[in-house]
Amino acid sequence: MKVKNLTCLLFSLCIALPSWAKSIPETATMDIEFVIPNIEASIYARPYVAVWIEDKQRKPVRTIQLWVGEDEWLKDLRSWWRKVGRNDRAVVDAVTSATRPVGQYRFSWDGLDQQGKRVEQGDYTFYVEVVREHGGRNYIRQKIQLAEEGFNMQLEPTEETGLITLDYHL
Amino acid sequence: MLNKKINTLIVLCSILAGSMLSSVANAHPRWVLPSHFTISKEGGDWLTFDVTASHGTFVMDKPAGSETAQIIMPDGRQERPDFVLRGKRRSVFDFFFSEEGTHRVQINNVPGYVTHYKAGKRDTVKRIRANKVERSNLLPETSRDISTTVMFTRAETYITVGKPSDKAFPLEGKFLELQPITKPADIVATEPVRFQFFFNGKAQAGVKAEITRDGTLYRNQQDQIDVVSDEQGFIEFTPEIAGRYILKASHTDKLADSPLADKMNASVHLTFEAILP
Repeated sequence: MKVKNLTCLLFSLCIALPSWAKSIPETATMDIEFVIPNIEASIYARPYVAVWIEDKQRKPVRTIQLWVGEDEWLKDLRSWWRKVGRNDRAVVDAVTSATRPVGQYRFSWDGLDQQGKRVEQGDYTFYVEVVREHGGRNYIRQKIQLAEEGFNMQLEPTEETGLITLDYHL
Repeated sequence: MLNKKINTLIVLCSILAGSMLSSVANAHPRWVLPSHFTISKEGGDWLTFDVTASHGTFVMDKPAGSETAQIIMPDGRQERPDFVLRGKRRSVFDFFFSEEGTHRVQINNVPGYVTHYKAGKRDTVKRIRANKVERSNLLPETSRDISTTVMFTRAETYITVGKPSDKAFPLEGKFLELQPITKPADIVATEPVRFQFFFNGKAQAGVKAEITRDGTLYRNQQDQIDVVSDEQGFIEFTPEIAGRYILKASHTDKLADSPLADKMNASVHLTFEAILP
């Protein structure tokens, strides 16, 4: 009986192993450069911005930046609100900050998920949602691979965003 | 004493007249349009609702009342609107939503009875507002092809504060009902939506529903989606464009042993939004 159990355990371990991927290296960091472009408008309001990471199953892993100010407008970040915000008030309280003026910004993701655990190596998607009152909305998605090799990529400007640079390094 | 009786009579008359008016308005589909479907503000927020009866999608027309409006809270209890006013082409009510979860807002009318009959040589179908009990006193002696229909419409929508929930939707077991299998706050343009219909509490096949996007006044075609429920009462459709929609579903069936009507014609008019993908 014991032997059988052990075999079962070993067998399930073997099956499960491929999904038991290694965590990304401890030193792995993703630096993000982000630009709020200058937009000529009769009524200009600072945009609401959400930047987050989802895993291969499209499950949110970590909200990196959230620039909204008042929580009444969180829902206007339609995708972020539906996927992340509405489900976890603690995330909102943890990351929310004021809206930012036109300019260039730099922030980093430490490779940890929302619970503070280092994420596994694998395929992820980088998301940016930007919404401006009296203005437009852009929803940017970029597939990324987080492993033991660094990368640097640029995401083309949209109406509401300037050039975005992702720099994943170890 | 007599005064009191007269007063009661007046009130009764006005209620009757009111219900008749709302049934007359029934010819125009009655629906509700909330100012928002989603609330993210901590501590809650006010929303406002327009109620009207009209042939255009989100074009105000006839002043359907909001006096019967109810808000089914996420825990299942019922609340009334905070402010109700009636204009000439719509009525309005406001409500402060503060509890987390999904609320159903419903403006259901009272069942209305219509008797169709033919009398005279021309075979014209005539109608009176009477149920089976009342009709015997009202119909001409020569009446034939007599049939009484009970009509009931649910005008409803869903409001979600924070995280969606699904406790607010127990079946009443009466008339036509829609169960949102896809949570109303999860309706996203380009993604399939699944609902289920129940007629008198049982899953109902063959319920016809048409789904129309906002703004019929500004396009040449209705561009409606037509669906019919399957054996288990399910419908599935995909709103391709983000926006506000009305789903109008109705079902007619014979009533075997109702003392008041021969047929039932029950409708659900659901307003929902498909958010941007």
